[in-house]
Amino acid sequence: MRILIADDELMSRRLLEKTMQRAGYDVTAVENGQLAAAELCKPEGPRLALLDWIMPELDGPGVCREVRKRKDHSYVYMILLTSKEKKEDVVAGLESGADDYLTKPFDPEELKARLRTGKRILDLEDRLIEAREEMRFQATHDALTSLWNRGVIMELLGRELTRARRENKCTAILLGDLDHFKNVNDTYGHLAGDEVLKETARRLVSSVRSYDFVGRFGGEEFLVTLNNCDPAFGLARAEKIRKTIAENPVETSAGPVPISISFGLLLSQEWGYMSVVELLHEVDTALYAAKAAGRNCVKVAAPKAQPASPRELAAEPAWRRR
Amino acid sequence: MAKNLIDLGELLERTENDRELMKDLLTIFKEEFPQRHQALREAVQSLNATHVALEAHALKGMLSNLAAPEASASVAEIERLGRNNETSRFLESFSRFEAIAKELSRQVEDCMAEVSG
Repeated sequence: MRILIADDELMSRRLLEKTMQRAGYDVTAVENGQLAAAELCKPEGPRLALLDWIMPELDGPGVCREVRKRKDHSYVYMILLTSKEKKEDVVAGLESGADDYLTKPFDPEELKARLRTGKRILDLEDRLIEAREEMRFQATHDALTSLWNRGVIMELLGRELTRARRENKCTAILLGDLDHFKNVNDTYGHLAGDEVLKETARRLVSSVRSYDFVGRFGGEEFLVTLNNCDPAFGLARAEKIRKTIAENPVETSAGPVPISISFGLLLSQEWGYMSVVELLHEVDTALYAAKAAGRNCVKVAAPKAQPASPRELAAEPAWRRR
Repeated sequence: MAKNLIDLGELLERTENDRELMKDLLTIFKEEFPQRHQALREAVQSLNATHVALEAHALKGMLSNLAAPEASASVAEIERLGRNNETSRFLESFSRFEAIAKELSRQVEDCMAEVSG
């Protein structure tokens, strides 16, 4: 583990450096507070620090305050080293953001023990961050395919549409539904069905650009947004994705399963201002048309001359009829 | 015979019996101490209490690391006088420290020879 040592006095620095190296730390040693703060504030800077109290440029408590100002970085565990022993000095040191306080000259064993305490706290922080990230992932992703879940993909679509309108750009919305997926489950079993969904997700993600979004919309339905694309590109890419999905059977534990997908495609620029729900209704109608046309094809949602009536908008979504 | 101003046992403990490190520390001390000593002398002569406290503090750190308790205590007293702005007692305390420092420098040489041998 990396540790920063900041001490203007060369003997102290050498002694600390050697003691820490012997204890297995990767040491960075600096001779003033400014250098210490700069080092600790680097994104990948050391997370353990031994700081002399009195230093030129910036003292130990000053370094602690600088480091604590930064909220977006991992926690840095800081120990102040000093010959100050008065109670008010200890209080001032800890108030500045230091985690611990050690009187000089230090005892090597005590110093190492206190650093082990610091390491335990940093390990605990790492585990908490890992758990939080895991929970964040679970809350935003589909458990089977690891794609964005329905709530998130709709939110991303909403944001993307707002941006596209503001910048007068086009977003292509693709709603796909695996063809005859019920038959896959009935013929090959649900385990193979899950494998097909996972592989479909993988093929979708590999077919789009890094800044496009792919989400699982429902059982065997997928929503893809091709961001900032012109209509011709949207059409071509939709067709390419469809072909990629159907190109090879999916190798499952129950054997190879041939698959295909039908897509409804909507190019946002052609639709003016409509809500996400309204646009999804339109693209779903296009998907329904693709199914009706024999499946394994892409149908584009075409705006009607007149705005859709409230009755039509409130109609039962086509996906419920498939 | 002059008393030992360096507690070799403590220094060994502090360096975890690393003789190379001890040698390093003694070498650094030999190089740094005269400059720090001179800086303190100048601060004392100019009766600048802030500088006296700062220079004495720096020397105290070096002497603590060398496990030289008597010299460290002597310079700690000068630091205290500096912090309290007791300028009238600077020269008296500094002369006491100089006597200790002279003997300490001699003992550092002996210590160096012992560690190197």
